[in-house]
Amino acid sequence: MSFGKLIRLSRIIDPSDGRSLVVAADHGLMLGPIKGVVDLEATLRKVIAGGPDAILVSPGQARRLSHLFAGRSAPAMLVRIDWTNAFRDKTYTLPARSIQFNRVTTVEEAVKIGASGVVTYLFLGFDGEEDHIAMVEEFSSECKTWSMPLIIEPLPMGPRVTKANYVDMVKRAVEKAVELGADALKVPYTGDPYSFKEVIGVSSGVPVLVLGGYKALSIRDSLEVISEVLDVGAAGVVFGRNVVQDPNPDEAVRLMRRIIHGKETVMDILREKIKPPVKILIEAEKCSGCRVCELACSFFHEKVFDFSFARLRVKYSEDGRTFTPYACTLCYSCVNACPNGALRVNGKTGAVEVSQELCQGCGICVDSCPVKVLKLINGRLLLCDLCDGLPECVKWCSRNALRVEGGW
Amino acid sequence: MNLSLSGRGYAGGMVKLDLSSGKVEKVVLSQRDALMVLGGKGLGSLLLYNSVRRGVDPLSPENPLILATGPLTGTLAPSSCRFSIVTKSPHTGLFLDSNCGGFFGVELKKAGFDAAIIIGKASQLSMVVIDDGDVYVEDATWLMGLKTMEAEKKVKDRLGEGFRVLTIGPAGEESVPIAGIFTDQRCAGRGGAGAVMGSKNLKSIAVRGEKPITVYDPDGFEKACWRAHRRIRMHEVTARSLPIYGTVNIIETVNEAGALPTNNFKTGVFQDAWKISGYEWRRGLWKKDKACFGCPIACSKLAFSSSYVVDGPDYETLWALGPLCGVSDKEAIVYANWLCDAYGVDTISTGVIVSFVMELYERKILKSEDIDGIDAEWGSSEALLKLVEKICRGDGVGRELRLGVKKLSVKYGCEDVAMHVKGLEMPGYEPRAAKGMGLGYATSDRGACHLRAYTADKELLAYGGAVDPVKVDGKAKLVVDYQNEKALIDSTGICFFASFALSFREIGEMLATATGLPLDEADTLRTIGERVYNLTRLFNVREGVRRKDDCLPRRLLKEHMPEGPAKGSTVELDKMLNEYYVLREWDENGIPKSETIKRLNLDAIISLEN
Repeated sequence: MSFGKLIRLSRIIDPSDGRSLVVAADHGLMLGPIKGVVDLEATLRKVIAGGPDAILVSPGQARRLSHLFAGRSAPAMLVRIDWTNAFRDKTYTLPARSIQFNRVTTVEEAVKIGASGVVTYLFLGFDGEEDHIAMVEEFSSECKTWSMPLIIEPLPMGPRVTKANYVDMVKRAVEKAVELGADALKVPYTGDPYSFKEVIGVSSGVPVLVLGGYKALSIRDSLEVISEVLDVGAAGVVFGRNVVQDPNPDEAVRLMRRIIHGKETVMDILREKIKPPVKILIEAEKCSGCRVCELACSFFHEKVFDFSFARLRVKYSEDGRTFTPYACTLCYSCVNACPNGALRVNGKTGAVEVSQELCQGCGICVDSCPVKVLKLINGRLLLCDLCDGLPECVKWCSRNALRVEGGW
Repeated sequence: MNLSLSGRGYAGGMVKLDLSSGKVEKVVLSQRDALMVLGGKGLGSLLLYNSVRRGVDPLSPENPLILATGPLTGTLAPSSCRFSIVTKSPHTGLFLDSNCGGFFGVELKKAGFDAAIIIGKASQLSMVVIDDGDVYVEDATWLMGLKTMEAEKKVKDRLGEGFRVLTIGPAGEESVPIAGIFTDQRCAGRGGAGAVMGSKNLKSIAVRGEKPITVYDPDGFEKACWRAHRRIRMHEVTARSLPIYGTVNIIETVNEAGALPTNNFKTGVFQDAWKISGYEWRRGLWKKDKACFGCPIACSKLAFSSSYVVDGPDYETLWALGPLCGVSDKEAIVYANWLCDAYGVDTISTGVIVSFVMELYERKILKSEDIDGIDAEWGSSEALLKLVEKICRGDGVGRELRLGVKKLSVKYGCEDVAMHVKGLEMPGYEPRAAKGMGLGYATSDRGACHLRAYTADKELLAYGGAVDPVKVDGKAKLVVDYQNEKALIDSTGICFFASFALSFREIGEMLATATGLPLDEADTLRTIGERVYNLTRLFNVREGVRRKDDCLPRRLLKEHMPEGPAKGSTVELDKMLNEYYVLREWDENGIPKSETIKRLNLDAIISLEN
């Protein structure tokens, strides 16, 4: 690699730990005015406060917002040099009917704008592959001329991509990107660490940054993905919507940094956020009645799938029109009701604990529970232990009908 | 590796019940069969193939009604509520599987059964009760004539808490060939499984189980399931489109592609599509999102009125009872949907029948006096409701209409515009504007079905990369791949919608950790899917299906699409079909070659003699 490339790349991927957190903000070019990029300057100011290594923008925004990239502590600028309609699915106006692509600027122009790297797609699996590869090859030569790091985004795309061959296609696309001269890769996550390890295995040592895609339900989900891919050898991530569409982009970047550069675990971060007593908050109108919460509860406590072992419940109304979750409210009626003093409060989480020696199995506590979530099964009392501070029911709820106070 | 499957995702057993004799037999599910066909659709097809002879009358006691769950049913795997109902269809006379959600399948597995096989015929209207391993038949004459939701509620009230109930409506009791089976406001609608149930004098099946479901490697399974859930929560279709707008989210896009069949497939463009978009429903009649067991998506939307609750309409129902008949009146569509659910008939078939009547009316083949004084004008919501009501109740002309468009076209002619394949009415994607869908309908194992090869995702919705919908190049390959993949998904117990966000590696990880069987490789799963699809083809071939049956109505082959992006187009079916058979390794007449059968090890599990 030329010195120019080396120096520019070191602005993107931190040479001290070989890792990088890039925030993608080029959505306007591909998708349109989605949430978070409409007032891009305001969003990016927040993003920069969190301290990303680099930000990916379109050429136009790069020029318009150049002041954000000036200064010694400013993030590196990555410029998107191609365009495609492939991601404009039915949600957007003018959906794609066939895959189109084109260049939107030259590498020379990117040098003038002040870019530390340029980014292009590489699609595999569609009819226009020949022209597409020719375009990427042009970028590659230009990058060599200007000593500009080339970040290629290899993506399976089009009629040849199916559920069965998806991982295989990602691997092939990554190999092609390396062959075409990528200095770093922006790769879609294949969903599980085993297959992703195979993907990294074919990258010939070229740093792999993982793209984020559609906005995750919670920051916890995105942090977990980051942690998972780093574990199998990724150099970092290029996350867009998971940052720019977060209510607090600066905080999102900070938390991501702690995982990527600080090498902290997701659990450490979550535990720090949630202050005891751990309170499960319920918004019944969001509940869809899927009962995943009960399923997760029964599995995590008993290793079986059976609602009757769950320490919370979802009630369906008689007319089938509403679903209401009930979970322990930490009211401690049961503690006060127990005639044997068998129940006490865990000082760390606030959950109620039972002493098996003192419990007589009388069931008075069960009757005392105002939300009816205590159960006595074969003489054994089942009660919510708040999963040691990180309730599984909340983690699995896909609708945020259950949340934890102060949590994710 | 010859351990019992019990406790490894599977319940490990099946129950066979003969309604004629009342005999109950419990059998073990073999590991060999599980490895070959997994469960659900695959298991059901295997049981069906091996238990009936060629030419069995679908409405005779010998035709089995098979309910089969998959190894992931009832677990933390996303949307793992699914079970398949497999039987020989009275509507097509061919293979039928209908995949259904809700909570019933989960309860069946908890009762200790991966599958239930019901044969025979009860002497009077009855219901089957499966109470945690106890299987018995009860009188159900007191449920006679009840609407599906009433019957379901009455059975639950009588048997007590915890029961999940499958039921048919009045149409099923009368063995109407478009009757479905209903549970939890969900429906196994297509192909007339409800009529088979009715022919057995079986009104309901109630099940309650107390055996917790367990898996082989709980820690590994938990991680695999969590990753799958997280994927679904990070995927545009499963995290945004379906949760917010349900399946209706696509209607404007399909219309924009000129692929929204309108006025009995005369055109693919419906001017009023915007009036019935997901957005309009969301801010109008839909009041609540509802999910099946364990589903992070919740595609169901409940429409409330003062007197009833409708789970829907979903895209297909909305289209069939709306644009297909030229109707955009939301209130009328919801009421028609409710009527179909209550009386227990398939909404798609019903809509196609109504639109066929409207076309006959336009051509003056049917006059208003022939159809009980109804003015069956395109777009008339009054005519829609009257006709739907007659079909549901079997009143007057409805007695004849409910037999389906194939039989109607034999009587009235106009076979070129009777929109069905193999007797099953066609769903809501215009084949001239999405050629892959056309090939998919023609080669679907149960007649015209969009859910055997949902190529619309790439052809119309541009999900995973757009494909030119009007071109035929590469469509055969796409259809073969999709059919195999869908057959696999329907054999696992998870929902097709959840699989939108998942690759086979992710699904394989869940299957392998749940069962302890070597199911983690994508290729293994693809082969199982291909095996199942060939198995259903062999069933149909045994019944006499050949190339001539893999066809489309003449309208789609000869009439040019009059407008929209696909203007001028017809379906070049022969070209695609030739390529399809080659890729399938079937002969030019559509029969799987003996090498293909051997390669897929099908000869080891079925007898090709009968």
